[in-house]
Amino acid sequence: MENLSVIVLFLFVLFLLLGTGVWVGLALLGVAYVGMELFTTRPTGDAMLTIVWSASSSWTLTALPLFIWMGEILYRTRLSEDMFRGLAPWLRSLPGGLIHTNIVGCTIFAAVSGSSAATLTTVGKMSIPELRRREYPEKMVIGTLAGAATLGLMIPPSLTLIVYGVTINESITKLFIAGILPGLVLAAMFMAYVAIYAKISKNYNPNPEPPMTFGERLANSRFLIPVICLILVVIGSMYLGYATATEAAAFGVIGALVLAATQGSLTFKTFTQSLMGATRTSAMIALILAGAAFLSLAMGFTGLPKGLATLIADMELTRFELLMVLLVFYIILGCFLDGISSVVLTMAVVEPMVRQAGIDIIWFGIFIVVVVEMAQITPPIGFNLFVLQGMTNHEMTFIARAAIPMFLIMVLMVFVLIFFPEIATWLPENMRAQPG
Amino acid sequence: MSKTIRAVLDAIYFGGGVLAALCLIAILVLIVLQMLARWTGEVFPGAPDYAGYAMAAASFLAFAHALNRGAHIRVSILLNNVPASVRRYIEIWCFAVGTALAWYFVYYAVKFVYFSWKFNDVSQGPDASPMWIPQLPMVVGAFILAIALTDNLVSLFTNRVHRIQNSVVEQSHGE
Repeated sequence: MENLSVIVLFLFVLFLLLGTGVWVGLALLGVAYVGMELFTTRPTGDAMLTIVWSASSSWTLTALPLFIWMGEILYRTRLSEDMFRGLAPWLRSLPGGLIHTNIVGCTIFAAVSGSSAATLTTVGKMSIPELRRREYPEKMVIGTLAGAATLGLMIPPSLTLIVYGVTINESITKLFIAGILPGLVLAAMFMAYVAIYAKISKNYNPNPEPPMTFGERLANSRFLIPVICLILVVIGSMYLGYATATEAAAFGVIGALVLAATQGSLTFKTFTQSLMGATRTSAMIALILAGAAFLSLAMGFTGLPKGLATLIADMELTRFELLMVLLVFYIILGCFLDGISSVVLTMAVVEPMVRQAGIDIIWFGIFIVVVVEMAQITPPIGFNLFVLQGMTNHEMTFIARAAIPMFLIMVLMVFVLIFFPEIATWLPENMRAQPG
Repeated sequence: MSKTIRAVLDAIYFGGGVLAALCLIAILVLIVLQMLARWTGEVFPGAPDYAGYAMAAASFLAFAHALNRGAHIRVSILLNNVPASVRRYIEIWCFAVGTALAWYFVYYAVKFVYFSWKFNDVSQGPDASPMWIPQLPMVVGAFILAIALTDNLVSLFTNRVHRIQNSVVEQSHGE
């Protein structure tokens, strides 16, 4: 890194554009433009078009709008009611009672939706009023929902993992499969926390549930079976190597449409709403990815990624120390940027560093997702906090405070991942090869 | 601004979004056809390429529509914590930067596609499409986005407000 002042100028432009509120995708384009002008004599505009075109027209990327669409369709079905009704009979006798419907519900919806916010809305729409009616402690209702909804980012399909995979050019299927076990472990940790809290706390006196026979329980949860089947088809087809991520997404969309149709919730209105919603969300991410592609080209010319990678290598940090530095870095970044933006913004610099340190890049994807999940519930801009604020009318600070235990559990999860990396790497290493 | 121009502009933004949505359906159809072909032992050459082109078209054509609905993510900490008068200046700055970048992109995109057409650039994949055809929606979409940004910038000056809905819910659906 010979010309430090130029680097400082480059970073200043980056913070200026992002900080003043220029749309992230456009801000990245702008920063990349400045970087190209400062560090290379290449024709900037032509380089921009070549890279933006190839990044935007990639086949891998097509999984993104399809998975978004699938989630959008199911988000508009009766799934929300079915979920609570179907899960409650089975979870009522666990210590902590029906709070577990938040966590299990989020885990299930996370497996059909790549979005944390959509997961939160779908599950919360029904569970918040139902749990309140039974006088569960409000703090637990809100906190567990905020935390568990972030599983939407980890359990496949995951929009964050697609973006990560596209950015570093790794198999999205592998990343998806890698996310399954960590997602389940994290869900189990949330549930364990609820159980312990319920045993210890004195304010945990929800209304008891009326008795229910086994047959009634089965009858109540029959509506969940189609969703479970859909999950098995989508994830199973990827794991067994029958389909690529994009093809599994296509299964997912068709399955979701069929499911919505049989429920009677597929009308022209909900169809177009889901389609337009998916189009907008996917365009939003595509703009960020286009900007990021150009930025990573420009970053290459700045010498920043290489410089930092050597710097880290010279410091002889252990892997653990490096991960701790990155953990703190991403938590701080997460306070100001949303997850997808922080992933695409940093990967050009972080990827060489991580590869240099010999860290498995698939494993690192899961690591980064946990950290991004934390960003989802940290103020001032955690999306889940905003969504919950809209749903419950609580103060932001109340919601953020209710979510703190979940945040700490996620920090714990990072250490679990570091000490037992097999949780993330075992499944992808043992899946069947993909077709063509 | 006259009502007709307003209506035409809004129709263009929304029309871009609708075309983008149709491209999304096209992606689905292409992928399903490819899978059917594979299962029945047929080949559908170029399906991944076509899906990729539809992806680019779906993204670019929807940019302006997504902008108007407030779906594009931005860091709004500063914007939300300054008085309204200051906020307007920051908004002007944001739209000015965005507008400049969008037109810069459009200029080079036109050049890019023009050269694809002039030199008869053909896809390297099995589809062997002339590249200017799938690249055209990118130019059109970028052009619509540039117009939408300019439209809002002008509105900030003339009406003191821009016309974009502030929607954290729209933005949150990305993650």
